[in-house]
Amino acid sequence: MAQARTTPRAADAREARIGGSTRIRGRIHGEGDLLIEGHVEGDVAIRGSLTIAEGASVASEVIEAHAVTIAGALQGDVSASGPVRLAPGARVQGDLRGTAVSIDDGARFSGRLDCEFDLPPELGGTPRGESRARGPARR
Amino acid sequence: MANHVTVIGRTTRVRGRVTGAADLDVRGFVEGEIAVTGDVTVDSQGMVGSAIHGRRVVVRGAVKGDLLGDEAVLLEEGARVVGDIRAPRVAIAQGALVRGYVQTGEGNAPAVAAARPQPAARPAPAPQVSVVTPKAPAAVAPKPAAKGGPAPVPARAAQPPALPSAAQRRPPPPVVPALKKARGQIVKKKER
Amino acid sequence: MASTVIGAGITIEGEITTDEDVLVTGTLRGKLTAKEAVTVEHGATVEADVTSASLAIAGSLTGNVVANERVDLQAGARVIGNVKAARVTIADGAQFKGNVDMDV
Repeated sequence: MAQARTTPRAADAREARIGGSTRIRGRIHGEGDLLIEGHVEGDVAIRGSLTIAEGASVASEVIEAHAVTIAGALQGDVSASGPVRLAPGARVQGDLRGTAVSIDDGARFSGRLDCEFDLPPELGGTPRGESRARGPARR
Repeated sequence: MANHVTVIGRTTRVRGRVTGAADLDVRGFVEGEIAVTGDVTVDSQGMVGSAIHGRRVVVRGAVKGDLLGDEAVLLEEGARVVGDIRAPRVAIAQGALVRGYVQTGEGNAPAVAAARPQPAARPAPAPQVSVVTPKAPAAVAPKPAAKGGPAPVPARAAQPPALPSAAQRRPPPPVVPALKKARGQIVKKKER
Repeated sequence: MASTVIGAGITIEGEITTDEDVLVTGTLRGKLTAKEAVTVEHGATVEADVTSASLAIAGSLTGNVVANERVDLQAGARVIGNVKAARVTIADGAQFKGNVDMDV
């Protein structure tokens, strides 16, 4: 699952880690990556990637990060500049926004997904945003 | 032969409803609502312009409408869905695009109810689970298909408020292995 | 075989148009327009006007039928409606009520 991400954590000095027995109440922001194994109450805004590990829990208004991987519990919205992934054990309540959002089978989720894309013209194309490709040909 | 597999072929367009107790494979265009008790697959070139209700709903094409899966909704690469998604299991692969509200879990409004009172609700039902279990699968198992959504409701109303979450979490294992869904089951066990 | 199959247990209510052949073993209510062959199997129920290249019926059909090539009512078929095609066959054991029009 998130192994690829967590393996180099010790070596990478720019990755911050909130350990399993740590509990934080307050805002977290920074440049690098962040691994949360403990419990956080408050907003998170980082430039790098965020991983909420299995067993971790986060409650916040909004999380801003690049890539976001969640295997633990999250209550709050995610606004990612990269992809968002919910791993099988994830429990998430909140809206997810990212360049791509994937939800693994077994993840529990309730919230909105809001990807930007066009439906085929047969299905009315795009209700909002510009319609590309075949344009107004709707037959 | 292929008697029980219903296929809406690539150049086929259906303006109307598709209902019944069988699997359905959409490779063409269905404008109307689909409600079957079997599995529904919307092929990479398939399009559906209305809601889909099935046991497992697998989408690789485009859907404008809500997806309701009694067992699962699986969006695979290439899927484009504008609509709300609800099923006990929802999986959205990379490369699938969605605009809408997504809700996983059994029953009708489990996630909100389950997410918050969990700490309190969980320990309570545990001792009583053995009492509930024989009942619950019986209530759910005989009508697995079309009534997957509505079915839990009466069961829930009839029982004390602490139990439903346990009762609801219980029934799937007996049902699911019969349908050879090993993965979902394992995951569920891990969660508990 | 057929590219579009309405299987047993499935009901389609509405209008179907297709360039492919169609096999019906379930239920269709509405209208069917196909460019290729249409087969209504034994046990199938079609309550629809059907237009196709050819039509073979062994099930039940209520509606008017127009085929470019041929219509075959096979044994066991139960057809109520008008049939228009260059060639029409009605097998022994087929039930039929309606007009036949073979001059295309």
